[in-house]
Amino acid sequence: MANKGWDEFEIGAMLRSFNGPVSDVALTHQEDRDYSENNSFTASVADWRIEKPVFNKDYCIDCQFCWIYCPDISIISRDKKMVGVDMDHCKGCGICVEVCPTNPKSLLMYSEQTDEEEALAAWPSKETGEK
Amino acid sequence: MAFDKMELRDIEVWDGNFAAAQALRQCQIDVVAAYPITPSTPIVEGYAKFLADGYVEGEFVMVESEHAAMSGCIGAAAAGGRVATATSSQGLALMSETLYQASGMRLPIVLNLVNRALAAPLNVNGDHSDMYMVRDSGWIQFDAYNPQEAYDLNFIAFKVAEDHDVRLPAIVNQDGFMTSHTAQGVKTLTDDAAYNFVGEFKPMNDMLDLDHPVTHGVQTEEDWHFEHKARQHRDLMVTVMPKIQAAFDEFEKLSGRKYNIVEEYDMDDADVAVVCMGTSVETAREVATEMRAQGIKAGVVGIRVLRPFPFMEIAEALKDVKAIAALDRSSPNGAAGMLFNEIAGALFNTDTKALLSGYVYGLGGRDLTKAHLRDLYKELQANADAGKVTTQLQQFIGVRGPKLAFL
Amino acid sequence: MSEIKKIKNLKEFSTSADRFEGANLLCPGCAHSIIVREVLNATNDDLILSASTGCLEVCTAVYPYTSWDASWIHIGFENGSTAVAGAEAMYKALKTKGRLKQPDREPKFVSFAGDGASYDIGFQWISGCMERGHNMMHIVLDNEVYANTGGQRSSSTPIGSSATTSPAGRISYGEKKNKKDMISIMAAHQIPYAAQVAPNKWKDMVKKIQHGLAVEGPVFINAMSACTTEWKFDPKDTMSISDLATDSLVFPLYEIID
Ligand SMILES: Cc1ncc(C[n+]2csc(CCOP(=O)(O)OP(=O)(O)O)c2C)c(N)n1
Ligand code: SF4
Ligand code: SF4
Ligand code: SF4
Ligand SMILES: [Mg+2]
Repeated sequence: MANKGWDEFEIGAMLRSFNGPVSDVALTHQEDRDYSENNSFTASVADWRIEKPVFNKDYCIDCQFCWIYCPDISIISRDKKMVGVDMDHCKGCGICVEVCPTNPKSLLMYSEQTDEEEALAAWPSKETGEK
Repeated sequence: MAFDKMELRDIEVWDGNFAAAQALRQCQIDVVAAYPITPSTPIVEGYAKFLADGYVEGEFVMVESEHAAMSGCIGAAAAGGRVATATSSQGLALMSETLYQASGMRLPIVLNLVNRALAAPLNVNGDHSDMYMVRDSGWIQFDAYNPQEAYDLNFIAFKVAEDHDVRLPAIVNQDGFMTSHTAQGVKTLTDDAAYNFVGEFKPMNDMLDLDHPVTHGVQTEEDWHFEHKARQHRDLMVTVMPKIQAAFDEFEKLSGRKYNIVEEYDMDDADVAVVCMGTSVETAREVATEMRAQGIKAGVVGIRVLRPFPFMEIAEALKDVKAIAALDRSSPNGAAGMLFNEIAGALFNTDTKALLSGYVYGLGGRDLTKAHLRDLYKELQANADAGKVTTQLQQFIGVRGPKLAFL
Repeated sequence: MSEIKKIKNLKEFSTSADRFEGANLLCPGCAHSIIVREVLNATNDDLILSASTGCLEVCTAVYPYTSWDASWIHIGFENGSTAVAGAEAMYKALKTKGRLKQPDREPKFVSFAGDGASYDIGFQWISGCMERGHNMMHIVLDNEVYANTGGQRSSSTPIGSSATTSPAGRISYGEKKNKKDMISIMAAHQIPYAAQVAPNKWKDMVKKIQHGLAVEGPVFINAMSACTTEWKFDPKDTMSISDLATDSLVFPLYEIID
C-alpha cells in the first residue's frame, strides 16, 4: 500500500480485514474471500526465505501434519487433500518437512533458486537405514 | 426497553457528582467501567444505583484499578456503544497511559474528572493538577464551574465526542468538593429531552459488527505514526471547536442555558482581567463586580474549553485589556503556569499591549478568598497604571511563609 | 449455545478456513502463530479478539496490514484481557438493550498475551477479569521469556534458564527462581476451567479450547510456545523441541475443571 498522507486514511489507524461485509469467514476459504488491501494476506514474505519447501505429490498420504504445524498458513489443504505450498506466505522455516512422516518425505527443503522440476526429478528414494 | 424513566422536578438540589450521575443515566450509558476514588466515586455509585433500581439499562463493571477502568472503557467503546467513567487525581495518574490509547484509537469515551491534587503529599481536595497532567493526551476537555454545568456539559460532551467527524474522547472537569460535594439548585432536563439532545449512539468501526471485522490498536512506526498523530491534532484544531459551538447553540435552544468557549464576564470595557477555571471563576466574578463599584474596570475570563485550547477566542477576549492575571491552580514545578504560557502564546503576535502576570493559587484545596482577588485586581490596576508589570511575573497567593515570587 | 465444531481427526480439521493470515512478521518457525491457528480453527463461532503488547501483537497488526480476519484490539502491554472484558460487557449491554447488529450470533471473547503480559505486568488485570466472571478466555503464549524485547526473564522463566537479565555466567547458572504456578493461581479464582496446552499436541489442545469456549465464565489457558529466537534452536525444530518438553513432562499438560 502506498504511503498515504495524513488526510487519506481511516481515523484511529483502524484497519478492515475485508472489503464489504462477510457473514461466514470461518466457512469461507481464502480464494473466496474479498480481502482488503490492508489484509496481510495481500502481502508477501517470500523474500524472507533462504530455502523453500518443494512438495512431491507422489508420496503424500494427506496426513495434514504439515497443515496443522505450518506457522504461516502456507500449506494449502482443500477437501482433506494437501494441495501445495503458498509461496507468498511461506517463510521457509522447514517445519513442514520435519513433520512429514512419509518415506521418502513428500516435502523437502531446497535453496530458493532451485528449479522445482529438477528437484522433483531428482527426488530421493525411500530411506532404508535403521530408523 | 425495560427501564423506568424518572420524574425530575424542574429544579433539583444536587451536588456536582449527583448531577453528573443523573446526566449519565439520562444519556443511557451502555457500559461504565470504573474504580472508586475520592471525590469522584459518587458519580459511578450513582450509575450503579440507577442500574440497581431499573432506571437505566447497561453494564457496570467495577474493575480492580483505574488503569483497568479505562482499559475496559476502551474495549467497550471499540465494541461499539456509549461509555463513561469517572475518576480523580491518583486514579487519573494511574489511568494516564490508557488516555493516550483511547484518543489515538478515536474512541468517544466521556470521563468525568473531579479535580483533585496529586500526591505527594497525599491530598483529597480540589486543585487542577490532574486536569493539567493530561492536557496533551488528545482528549477534549470541558470545565464546569458548578453542579449545573457539570450536568449540562456531560450532554454536550457526549454529543461532540460521538459525532462521526470528531470521534474523540472528552473530559468534563469539575472542582473536587467545591463543586462535586456542594449541593445547589440544578435546572433539569426531562429524560426524553436529554436523551433526544444526545441522540442514539451511532456505532462506527464497531468490533461487534460481526460482518465487518476491524483491527484496532495497530503498531505504526516512523513511516506512519506521524501522519496519525497529525490527523488527530488537526481534527482537534479544526473540527472540534465548531462542533462544540454548534452543540452549545443547540443546547441553548433546548434549555435556555448559554455556554461559550470562553466565558466573558464584564469584559466589554475591562481594563484588568483575571483568567481562571473552576469554582474560582464564580468568586472572581463577584469580586470583579465589587471592583467596578470601586472604579476599577474589572472583568473575568473563564476557560470553558481547555482542549482544544481557545487560542483565537482568548486573544479576542483579551485584546483591549491593559493588564491580565493568569491563575493556575497547579504547581508548574519549574516553569511559568500553563494558563500563563497558553495566554502568552495566544497574545504574543497580536497588537495587544496587555501586561500579563501569573499567579499560582489554591493547591490542595486551599481557598481562594475574595480578599486575595481584591488584592490581585488592585495589583493589575497598578500594572495598568504603571504601564509595566510592577511585581515579579509569577507569584504564589495564599501560601504561608515568606512571599514566593519568581521570574 | 452454538454448536461445537466437529473435529474427529486431522484430515477433518484441515478443512478449516483459517482466520489468521500469513505475511505477518513473526519469526519463521514461531509457535505463537501455530497456537493462534489451532485456537481460531477450533471453532466456527464469531470471535472478538485481543492481544497484549508482545511478539504476537507487534507482528500481526503493523500498519497498514492486519493479519486478523476477526475483530481484534490491542491497547497496551498489561490490559489486553480487560479490553476483551470491556467488549464482552458491551456485548451484554447491547444484547439486553436489543441493539446488536447480528442478534442471533454469539461471538466468543478471547485475549492472547505473552507470559510477561500475563504472569507479570498484566497479572492484576487478568485476575480482575477472572474474578469478575466475564465470559471470556485468556490464553498465555508462554515462551517463558520477554521475547519481544530481547530475552529478559519473566516470572514464567524456569530455574536454570539463561535470560539476558538472569544470565548464566562464570559463577551463576542463570535464573534462580522456579516458574510461577500461574494455573493454580488462576484456578484459585474459582473459574470453571483452566488448562495447560501445547500446540504439538494439537488434539489435546483443540479439545481443551473447545471445552473452554463452551463453558460459561472465564477460562484460563496456558499454552507453551517454543521460541526459536530466544530458546536458540533452528526454526525447523519447533515441533521436536515442543515434543521434548511435553513428553518429558518439563511442560506437563493438564486441566483443572471447576
Ligand atoms: C507498559 C509497558 N512496559 C514495557 C513495555 C515493553 N515491552 C513490550 S513487549 C515486552 C515483552 C513481552 O513479553 P511477553 O509478554 O512474554 O510476550 P512475548 O514477546 O514473549 O511473546 C515488553 C517488556 C511496554 N510495551 N509497555
Ligand atoms: S517452510 Fe515453514 S512456512 Fe513454509 S510451508 Fe513449510 S512450515 Fe510453512
Ligand atoms: S505432512 Fe507430508 S504426507 Fe502429510 S500431508 Fe503434508 S506433505 Fe503430505
Ligand atoms: S522472538 Fe520468539 S516468540 Fe517472538 S516472533 Fe520470534 S520466535 Fe516468535
Ligand atoms: Mg514471552
